[in-house]
Amino acid sequence: MGEKVKMIAKERVDEITRQTAEPAWLKDSRLKAFESYLKTPTPCNRDENWHRTEVDALDLAALNVIVSDSKEKQAGKEPEVITQAFAHLGKKLPYIYTTPQNVEIGNADSELLSKGVIFCSLKTALTQHADLLNKYLSAQDLSKPDFAHDDKFYLMNQSLFNCGAFLYVPKNVSLDSPVLNVFTSGEETSIAVFPRVIIIVEQGAKAEFVNISTSAKSKKSEKSALSLINSSIGTLVGHGASLYYLDVSDFSTNTFAVSRVYNEVKKDAALHSSTVALGGWQIKSDIQTNLKEPGAKSDIRGVVLGAGSERYSFNTIQDHIAPDTASTINFRVALKDSSSSAYLGTIRVSKEGQRTDSTQSNKNLLLGSDAHADSIPKLEILADDVKCSHGATVGPADKEQIFYLMSRGMDNLEAEELIVQGFFRQVVQSCPVDGAGDWINTLVAEKIHSENPNV
Amino acid sequence: MAARDSKQESLLKIEDLWVSVEGKDILKGVNLAINKGEVHAIMGRNGSGKSTLSYTLMGHPRYRINRGSIIFKGEEIGDLPPNDRAKMGLALAFQYPVAIPGVSVSNFLRASVKSVRGQEIPVKEFRQELKAQMALLEVKDEFLSRYINDGFSGGEKKRLEILQMTMLKPALAVLDETDSGLDIDALKVVSTGINTLATKETAVLLITHYQRILNYVKPDFVHVFQSGQIVKTGGSELSEELEERGYDWVTQELTPSGVA
Repeated sequence: MGEKVKMIAKERVDEITRQTAEPAWLKDSRLKAFESYLKTPTPCNRDENWHRTEVDALDLAALNVIVSDSKEKQAGKEPEVITQAFAHLGKKLPYIYTTPQNVEIGNADSELLSKGVIFCSLKTALTQHADLLNKYLSAQDLSKPDFAHDDKFYLMNQSLFNCGAFLYVPKNVSLDSPVLNVFTSGEETSIAVFPRVIIIVEQGAKAEFVNISTSAKSKKSEKSALSLINSSIGTLVGHGASLYYLDVSDFSTNTFAVSRVYNEVKKDAALHSSTVALGGWQIKSDIQTNLKEPGAKSDIRGVVLGAGSERYSFNTIQDHIAPDTASTINFRVALKDSSSSAYLGTIRVSKEGQRTDSTQSNKNLLLGSDAHADSIPKLEILADDVKCSHGATVGPADKEQIFYLMSRGMDNLEAEELIVQGFFRQVVQSCPVDGAGDWINTLVAEKIHSENPNV
Repeated sequence: MAARDSKQESLLKIEDLWVSVEGKDILKGVNLAINKGEVHAIMGRNGSGKSTLSYTLMGHPRYRINRGSIIFKGEEIGDLPPNDRAKMGLALAFQYPVAIPGVSVSNFLRASVKSVRGQEIPVKEFRQELKAQMALLEVKDEFLSRYINDGFSGGEKKRLEILQMTMLKPALAVLDETDSGLDIDALKVVSTGINTLATKETAVLLITHYQRILNYVKPDFVHVFQSGQIVKTGGSELSEELEERGYDWVTQELTPSGVA
């Protein structure tokens, strides 16, 4: 059973470390992160990166940090969210299901195990595979995102992460279907949780990973009982390897969800990442992709569907560090009611990043008359032989399209559903995971037809 | 010509209909009655208000009814949203249908047919019906996976409109300038579609400013539309007379002095 302990404080780091019997290097890194956390000011919405968020409304002192000592166990009854995902993805997949109280693992695949694939909760990884983790979390890799230096929330996660998942795919091993990691904060309110996901795909290997984050839906927003779900996701795609990562989040209207994704892509490796954001009081997500060696490619996509007074803030950074790297970004945002979104997209090309090929596109569809979207592209290019393009649009839904569909018998919401699915299609249809497109369309339709969460 | 039965309630009865767009009167007292299964043609110059009539019938929010009534199947529909009208059996083939990128024709047709018929049709049954109608309209299979009107030629758009009419099987299909922009071959194909559509169950209101489609589709009644009103009604011979003598002839006939 998870024990509720008040306040984010250094004692929490000690408690977490003690419970898991973590190696000393990890405790050191947590304490270092916590020191930096204390020194870093809390962001405010005047910061470019936090534009249009209401970070001030979150009272850190009112949050209960969950320090769970639960061990993972075999899954009992399959949770509904997982059943729904499997129905679309076509089969039962290995999964980890984490709540503030429990960690369950299901459908473990013994064949993968025999090939040396590790898919386990982060807690298990920290005790059973500590050396392997140390290799990647040390100075060499997965330690250099922009937000490592000055992002209070990232530092908070790095010092207090207490649940999550670890996937390790050894050299030349291919996973033909995804593994599933689900985190839900359930009915809990006023809590702070710090999930951390680490995905390592070694040279020549191939993997698919589906990450679902959710919470029980509440009828109305209660700002007095806000919860913070502060996640970090780190992926390392080795030489010639490929990773497909799909992230689906759908939180209640009293959840403040912050996530920091850091991807490292090595020589001739390919990363495909799709983010689907469907709800929450506020969603603040940074996705940084470092193309570290020649031939590295990344394809980062996202769909966001806002309603009520939800706020979304996505920040993508493409960092072309080596020559001959390529990246594409395609983010589509549809906003109902008075929801809002701020997208900040940075393409960065270092002096060494010659022959970079990079495109960035962000389109925003305003369905609600009070909806608002900002789109800010940023190019920081130091090399002189590059191809970079970016485009952004913000516009209302076409009334003639709505009328056309309504003249065919569809009501307003049915018309909206088709238009939004059409708007998202270019992003959704490119999902390499079988059935993922259908699944996303279903989730989008459900949200469009659900009652306004928090007008 | 179908005989009018005074005891039979008209399928559509428009009485003294006045409609404005952004404060400007466009329709100025339209009267029209259409019975079950009849084919009516409304002819008139560009800008005479014909398209306003079709949009008003379907319930476009931009068009404001200031006076009069539209009774469809015995019910006043002037205040109903377009989807309710569609469900009652009214359909409009648009003159300029919009493109909806990302929405495939097949998804759209399924959603439309489901909405209008009020129930899901089994996939196989739907496919069969669709294939039959597509063959009739000489529409290729690849049409279905394309996005609605996205990059369609003028002819393809019109075929898709008629294809929808044949799938929706409305009690009244309003065809707004379905013939415009079609070459002669396409016109023949689209006319075949309209003739299949026009049955005892489906009445057709064909809006056009050319006589030539009426060589292929024979109307029971022809109405001449001018300055927001129907100014003359006759049988199919009226369209030939119009073709021969032009719209000015009607104008002159209506003006006592003979001067327009």
